[in-house]
Amino acid sequence: MSDAVTLSLTAPPDHVLVADCIAADRFAALDGKEIAQLPVVHGGRTTKLGEFFKVRGGRSSVVRIEGDVPQVEAIGAGMAGGELTIDGSVGRDLGLAMSGGRIDVRGNAGDNAGGAPPGAARGMSGGEIIVRGNVGDEAGARMRRGMLAVTGDGGRGVGSGMIAGTVVVFGQTGPGTGRFLKRGSIVALASIERPATFRYACTYHPPHVGLLLRYLRSGVGVPVADRYIGGRYERYSGDLAELGKGEILQWVGE
Amino acid sequence: MKINGVTIADTFAEAFTMRVARLVITGRTAKWAREAATKLTGFATSVIGCKCEAGIERELTPAETPDGRPGISVLFLTMDKASLPEQLIVRVGQTVLTCPTTACFDGLPDAPDRLAVGKALRVFGDGFQASKVIGGKRYWRLPVMEGEFLVEETFGMLKGVGGGNFLILAADADAALAAAEAAVAAMTGLPGVILPFPGGVVRSGSKVGSKRYKIMVATTNDPFDPTLRAITQTALPEGVNSVLEIVLDGTDAPSIEAAMRAGIPAACRPGVNTITAANFGGKLGPHHFHLRKILA
Repeated sequence: MSDAVTLSLTAPPDHVLVADCIAADRFAALDGKEIAQLPVVHGGRTTKLGEFFKVRGGRSSVVRIEGDVPQVEAIGAGMAGGELTIDGSVGRDLGLAMSGGRIDVRGNAGDNAGGAPPGAARGMSGGEIIVRGNVGDEAGARMRRGMLAVTGDGGRGVGSGMIAGTVVVFGQTGPGTGRFLKRGSIVALASIERPATFRYACTYHPPHVGLLLRYLRSGVGVPVADRYIGGRYERYSGDLAELGKGEILQWVGE
Repeated sequence: MKINGVTIADTFAEAFTMRVARLVITGRTAKWAREAATKLTGFATSVIGCKCEAGIERELTPAETPDGRPGISVLFLTMDKASLPEQLIVRVGQTVLTCPTTACFDGLPDAPDRLAVGKALRVFGDGFQASKVIGGKRYWRLPVMEGEFLVEETFGMLKGVGGGNFLILAADADAALAAAEAAVAAMTGLPGVILPFPGGVVRSGSKVGSKRYKIMVATTNDPFDPTLRAITQTALPEGVNSVLEIVLDGTDAPSIEAAMRAGIPAACRPGVNTITAANFGGKLGPHHFHLRKILA
């Protein structure tokens, strides 16, 4: 057992590498050799994680991936606990349908971060994803529970089809954000392209947003300005084409 | 033992095990947090008549509260496990939920016994309520006319201590009151302790049961009533014409001991004859606070 498991990219993949075996809770029961033997899919062919990554440590639910891995997809898929840190950017399907633990990306994430597998009704159902950069399209799509925080910009369809949970986007948010939202909250600290099926409710100080942003600042280490923590937010209820019990909270000032 | 010429009786205060919860109430300003806390802890002096005992533990700075606003820490005690959530649900619902700008958080996050207070209060939202999990804790957001009331889903419950006490025996009522006020000032704000009675002081200490009325569970403590000195078996020394009692509840025995250690010397002022304590011979309560041991 070690303090942490560290993965270092030794052979950059030529094609997309689907590494849905990388999950902090899974590594907690495996030693370094067993981790290296886990299956990955490279260019459609099944191979082993150890072909691409050097594995240090084992039997720990604290996992660190060194460097940029934008061609590696589905990191943290189905993760149920532990801490997974990526010191760079990652590919699509980060934290796909995860249910617990925390994924912290010190770079950008591709499409469908915290989202659902194709055809699945539910995406992320628990845990936290922190992306200290931008995310691609459909981040947090069909989220059932949990929290996704993006310090950069969001792509198209952020939080689309959310059933519950929270998405916070510090930067700009693309079109289709929150479309078909049933419940759940999308907190937008910058401009947002809001669907027409959301209706303005009020401008107020939502107490849970201050609590959430303070948690991100003190508990996760995300820099959050005081003006957001104590700020006023416009509340838009939606998606009224769906259940309508969700919300977009857009920061409008101190 | 004497402190400033005041006799410290060789006796002990007998206290009981109670169930305790700590609530952190925040508001837009300290005034509104205090307004809610004052209402919440009103009519909560003794389980004999109020079914609970509660009081303000201390004021909290914005840095000490979960949402970064001014707050008040409240301790809330009942005699048994079942009645603590019952009392909290009713009282928080009527006093904190109703108070402008406030939010209500658990102050015992590490306590394994959890009381589903916010979970019960959520139904005030009539289906419009929503929950949020932040940092592993679930909170309920209740829509209200002002905006939203935020309350933590569960509150921790510990075994606490109720009924710590000491009595100030003085030459006159003014001296007793001045000593009691000094003791309260010395104990106010100490962690883990509340003084549930008005201003922290009790003038009507009671004995168990009644000599005359079977229905009464507690009646006047006639051995310490100066007006009855001539017709009862008095416990008052010569020259004592007024007695006041300080009752302490807390999260644990060391907290109560620490408060008594601060409060009793402060009460040893001119005009005070003796500091003593109420007990039942050690047969009823498991916590015995020996005055001389505490002050040694």
